[in-house]
Amino acid sequence: MNVERHQAVVIGGGPAGLAAAIQLKQKGIDDVVVLEREHRTGGILRQCIHDGFGLTRFGETLSGPEYAQRFVEQAEELGITCLTDTTVLSLEADRTVTASGPAGLRKLRGDAVILTMGCRERTRGALAIPGSRPAGIYTAGVAQEYINLRNLMVGREVVILGSGDIGLIMARRMTLEGAHVKGVYEVQPYPSGLPRNIEQCLNDYNIPLHLSHTVTDIHGRERLEGVTISQVDEQFRPIPGTEERVDCDTLILSVGLIPAGDIANGSGLAVDGRTKGAFVDEHYQTSIPGVFSAGNVLHVHDLVDFVSLEAEALASAAAEYLKEGSLPACPLEVKAGANVGHVIPQHVSGTRSFTLSLRVRKPLKGVTLTVTQNGREVLRRKFPKALPAEMIQLNVPAEKLETEGDLEVSVQ
Amino acid sequence: MQQIYDVVIIGGGVVGSAIARELSRYKLRIAVLEKESDVCTQTSGRNTGMLHAGFLYKTGTLKAICAVEGNQEFDKVAAELDVPFKRTGKLIVGFTDEDRQRLENFMARGEANGVKGLEIIDRARMDELDPSAGGNFAMWCPASGILDPFLYTIALAENAVHNGVEYHLNCAFTGETKQADGTHLLHTTEGDFLTRWVVNSAGLNSAVVSEQLGIPGYVIKPVKGEYFVLDKLAGQFAKIPVYPAPNPDNTFDTHATPTVDGNVLVGPDSQLARDFQDYESTQAAMDGLIESGSRMFKHMDRSYFIRNFAGIRPKRIDPETGVVQDFVLECRDEVPGVVNLVGIESPGLTSALPLARRAVALIAQREKLEPNPDFDPVRHGIRRFADMNDAERAAAIEENPDYGEIFCRCEKVTKAEILQAIHNPLGVHTVNGVKVRTRATMGRCQGGYCETRITETLHKELGEDFKDIHLGPEGSWMFTGAVKGGDRA
Amino acid sequence: MKRTFTCIICPNGCEITAEYEGTDVRSIEGATCPKGKDYVRQELTDPRRNIATSIPVEGGELPLVSVRLDRPIPKKDIFAVMDAINKLHVKAPTTIGQVVLSDVCGLGANVIITKPVAAV
Repeated sequence: MNVERHQAVVIGGGPAGLAAAIQLKQKGIDDVVVLEREHRTGGILRQCIHDGFGLTRFGETLSGPEYAQRFVEQAEELGITCLTDTTVLSLEADRTVTASGPAGLRKLRGDAVILTMGCRERTRGALAIPGSRPAGIYTAGVAQEYINLRNLMVGREVVILGSGDIGLIMARRMTLEGAHVKGVYEVQPYPSGLPRNIEQCLNDYNIPLHLSHTVTDIHGRERLEGVTISQVDEQFRPIPGTEERVDCDTLILSVGLIPAGDIANGSGLAVDGRTKGAFVDEHYQTSIPGVFSAGNVLHVHDLVDFVSLEAEALASAAAEYLKEGSLPACPLEVKAGANVGHVIPQHVSGTRSFTLSLRVRKPLKGVTLTVTQNGREVLRRKFPKALPAEMIQLNVPAEKLETEGDLEVSVQ
Repeated sequence: MQQIYDVVIIGGGVVGSAIARELSRYKLRIAVLEKESDVCTQTSGRNTGMLHAGFLYKTGTLKAICAVEGNQEFDKVAAELDVPFKRTGKLIVGFTDEDRQRLENFMARGEANGVKGLEIIDRARMDELDPSAGGNFAMWCPASGILDPFLYTIALAENAVHNGVEYHLNCAFTGETKQADGTHLLHTTEGDFLTRWVVNSAGLNSAVVSEQLGIPGYVIKPVKGEYFVLDKLAGQFAKIPVYPAPNPDNTFDTHATPTVDGNVLVGPDSQLARDFQDYESTQAAMDGLIESGSRMFKHMDRSYFIRNFAGIRPKRIDPETGVVQDFVLECRDEVPGVVNLVGIESPGLTSALPLARRAVALIAQREKLEPNPDFDPVRHGIRRFADMNDAERAAAIEENPDYGEIFCRCEKVTKAEILQAIHNPLGVHTVNGVKVRTRATMGRCQGGYCETRITETLHKELGEDFKDIHLGPEGSWMFTGAVKGGDRA
Repeated sequence: MKRTFTCIICPNGCEITAEYEGTDVRSIEGATCPKGKDYVRQELTDPRRNIATSIPVEGGELPLVSVRLDRPIPKKDIFAVMDAINKLHVKAPTTIGQVVLSDVCGLGANVIITKPVAAV
């Protein structure tokens, strides 16, 4: 089969992919192709109709579709080729991408391949929740697509498991559309969504949030009839005797997002077990030279603004790679130390400034973040609070770095 | 007066559908009554998908005879009916001298039953077959295989329909009135059926139906088995089914079995079900499977969990002793016109066609059956994009652009396949019906991407109101209606 | 009176503690920017919210188009405004910023389209 050659092949036309493509074009890379499986670009934002996007990237608060449209229009103005209705099936180690669409099967090889496929939702099966398997159990994103894009109401009496942001947003959405949201149950002792969403999506509508609680049984053979809720101990084990049945016809799951990098499974791309996304260096280059990754397919972000900004940083590096033929080697490892769940990037050069992204493992107050190298403090920053729900990002300046010795990031 | 059927089959599972298909070789008017919304929703679909070899069962029993016969013919059956099938072979591994003794006993029994190719092998041979299998030695059974139990049942039913059999879904048998002329008036939730012959292949309900048809006394014990379905990423570590040496009572501990599609099933366990619909997963059983499954399969990792399910084996027991009995296949002179199958559990999938032929023979012994000259044994399944190579994919899309539109990303199922599944010969119109015919929603995202497309397409293709779209059984509604602007028509 | 607020103005979600008597604010602590102080004052006197929902679109490539308000409305009026929006529908094509209802419920806010939906 004929293989089309391009300078850059971008997989995914959401807020990461479009931002990367635009930035590549602006950096002088003319031959950029975006592959998008939907009929329209814009990604998941098309169904995120609530506002609150864009404050960091555009300095104003927008709804998801408006935020996306800014990139869609800019990509159009710049004449970027977006192949919609085109689903990528696989990526190989030689940077060949196989994609399928009604127009045919095609193979594209990029001098650079940009992975910006976003993430998917964790399911009931992944959590292994006991009980029956009736209709009426939806992940929050699926419910959001039905309600916001397809004009279909999925239920009347609703229980939400997990306090992820999409679950909180859907609690408000379903309430506004006439459903009765009986409560949000979170297994952790703290919410996993942003504080402002607890405030404006739950508190505003008197929807109770029950921390350290989870669904331990599901009832109903055809349509959901109810769930059993149990309190959990510190090890997340249900506490016997705390079971309570809550009648409902709908269970919405907002129990985590997972980078959707599946197409690269056959390519040998090295994946970080903590982020479930690729290992990258400060250029967002993966273990396969010329393959770059950013946005939610790399690590799940809290805000779309950071997704786009990260993709733009990726594109700057990828443009340099395409022009120069290589990028500075990144032999130094960045390690996640005390209270740090994961870090991005996992490798750096030690010769350039880089953006460090991380999440803490548990909520902390009055903390100090330190980056150390060779027993020496490279960077110290104080935070009044640090939440697992929030991604922390900061610039690590080159002048503080040595060219040898791994880095360690701790929050204490 | 309604039309009279020659044969009405109660229960459209793998056995009922096999009987329907085998009866359609003759000039008969046949109907199948299935109380569920599809043919593979109960025992026939809820199992390991194993093509058994037949070494486990006591020599001379129907279980042994039918399993061996069904196993040996299955390459031809799978080709004829287009059923995904792999003759993988199976390893039953042992560690101790006691294990070795039991394996040798099985080998002797298997050989007596007519199972071919059994041998006890050493570690070196095991390493050639599957290095990840534990154990010091094993019994190697090359005849064992894995198949898609949904599609096998569907294939039998579709081939029966192709040859003139009627299927009535969501049609539950409620009782019988024997007519003076010896015919049977069967009452169902969808009206009455008058028939000369009635076949009981009601699976879990076979003892109840048997009594309703005038043959009381059978006792079915519902034994539930729970499973974990693991991601295809775990499937790369499980090439052939590996079982532990059996326990003294000839039962097996939890094992890991690859599926024909590349996933891994961990299970089943064995517990008394509450009733014949008790398909709930329980925390205790899940914990048990994780613990025992980890011993047999070292990749029993949480990150591979994609789904749980449970099945129920209708075990016929001796009411006095509780001991599990052989399959019942009978036609009693004192209850004329009734072919009765009771307690068809494992190896029922393997035994379905051999049982069906014997059921037909019981009728043929009592009346002359005239061959159906138009009978066509061949059934074509939906061509799967996932199984094609690049050239085949390109050609398929060129011929039908819907083959280029990926609906289910995880399992690479295209719109073309979804459309074929929606317009299936049995008239199954549920999301689960599409699922078992195409594998859409069976991947790691569990429908997170494709379910919305499937429901939309069901609506478009069938013109049904969204409120009438069901996940599976009657009552499993998915939508209350439109969010805005009244109902979506 | 003392009360702690979670600021919803930006994703930082500052925890802000205010001491006040009626609508008279004595002190505000915890805000990392001036907007937080304004937010708390507003919350104490006249809490306001924006809302987002959808309306049916005729002849479009999608059955729904998303809408929001171009400025916040009093929190207590959210469901009255929803009732008013629930009566709306629009013809494709739609454009971002298109006003589909002016001065909803006399509250001074307009209902605006937030997504382009092409006609089919």
